[in-house]
Amino acid sequence: MMEVQPFTALDLFTWLTSKEDFLLLDVRNDVEFGRFKVEGPYPFEMVNVPYMEFIEMEDESVAKVPRGKKVRIVCAKEGSSKFVGEILVQHGFEDVAHMKVGIKAWGNLLVPVRVGAGDDYELYQFRRPGKASCSYGLISGKEMMVFDPAKNIPFYRDFAKDKGCAIIKTFETHRQADYISGSDMLRQTAGAEIVAPEDDFAPAKFPYTPARHGERHGFSSGGPEVEIIHTPGHTPGSTCYHVDGKYLITGDTVFIQSIGRPDLGGMAQDWSRMLYKTMTDILLKLDDDTVILPGHYMDWDEANEDLAFAAPMAKIKADNAAIYSIADEKAFFGFIQANMRPQPEEYAKIREINAGLVAVDEEQQEIMDIGKNECAASAHTAA
Amino acid sequence: MSDDIKISKTFDLKGLACPMPVVKVSKGIKDVEVGDVIEAISTDPGSLTDIPAWARTTGNEVIKTEQDDKVIRFYIKRNA
Repeated sequence: MMEVQPFTALDLFTWLTSKEDFLLLDVRNDVEFGRFKVEGPYPFEMVNVPYMEFIEMEDESVAKVPRGKKVRIVCAKEGSSKFVGEILVQHGFEDVAHMKVGIKAWGNLLVPVRVGAGDDYELYQFRRPGKASCSYGLISGKEMMVFDPAKNIPFYRDFAKDKGCAIIKTFETHRQADYISGSDMLRQTAGAEIVAPEDDFAPAKFPYTPARHGERHGFSSGGPEVEIIHTPGHTPGSTCYHVDGKYLITGDTVFIQSIGRPDLGGMAQDWSRMLYKTMTDILLKLDDDTVILPGHYMDWDEANEDLAFAAPMAKIKADNAAIYSIADEKAFFGFIQANMRPQPEEYAKIREINAGLVAVDEEQQEIMDIGKNECAASAHTAA
Repeated sequence: MSDDIKISKTFDLKGLACPMPVVKVSKGIKDVEVGDVIEAISTDPGSLTDIPAWARTTGNEVIKTEQDDKVIRFYIKRNA
């Protein structure tokens, strides 16, 4: 009899991005599936048949799984997908595999793509398809700077090692509410210096260098400069990092579609005013060919032909004209209010964790950290 | 713990990972009469949504859930 083989989250990403023909069978319960599911850049076949249905009604559940394609199974923690895989094999399915570790491996997966380069540097985007978020790595010589790292620290360390680099600095664009930051772990494990905006990180329990508007950071010899641009609104401290005068790492300030919501801190009107000023005084004055590198995306259709999330400011202004053409602060707040929606309840606690104010164990971190972000002012495409 | 609920049988599922808590509850509930209540004690955080999902699938009823740090106690009434 065929064995149920394991596959990795990276295998799944590779199939999704190469239009491989397969069936993704998610056997988590309907609530978990509804909360967070695998997404990819191209259409693919996915069905949700919870593993408890296989326990109770084996034949009916097997009949819900289309035949003729290879079946790739995901569940919360690996055990149930293996269990269902074995049932399918007993029912004559031939090519069946289960995802190692479970859905959290998908939630934590980071996949690099090069989004920029100069004479003596390379800039990588680390896409996190399970969160729809992006962190960045800037490499010059034997040094690497990271921006908005997720908590998957082994990935960044391995990436740096493969490139023969030491991680010297880790920049935070703002205090994140939707995922647990890896900066403090990079400081502790790799000795990286944290650079972070004081307005967001004043209560932080770990040492950091304040990110001050107009200041520049560099490598120990050569390489591009990173200029700090304060862009308050999504949070009071929100900061963009301008690399080599060409690339703008925007965190949750500018997205390919939409703009970062200013209502997550419970001060929607004040922060909306700040964001409007940031938009008119800074964002609308950026060079049209500035490459915007966002901290999140809402949908894969925002990706470019390299499946990277990067676009020139001219395109972003055109695609989001409904936002960038808003004539005054009041109308802007009206737009924000019209798009306001609740934030996930774990966001408050994630904010505390990201300042080192509370510590939670690994398992709790996994539970809180999973799921797609809710950071854009408009939920899907710009209104 | 729950003095007001009459428990017919207790299943200790501590340390088990999915799918085993649901497999054991699915089998175990058949050992009691319709209308009786079982207690299931799990340490798998996945049980928090998996046991209620299983109950919805089968028509049984989670009448009470208690959580004390990592230990989750479900009181489940056999309806089907």
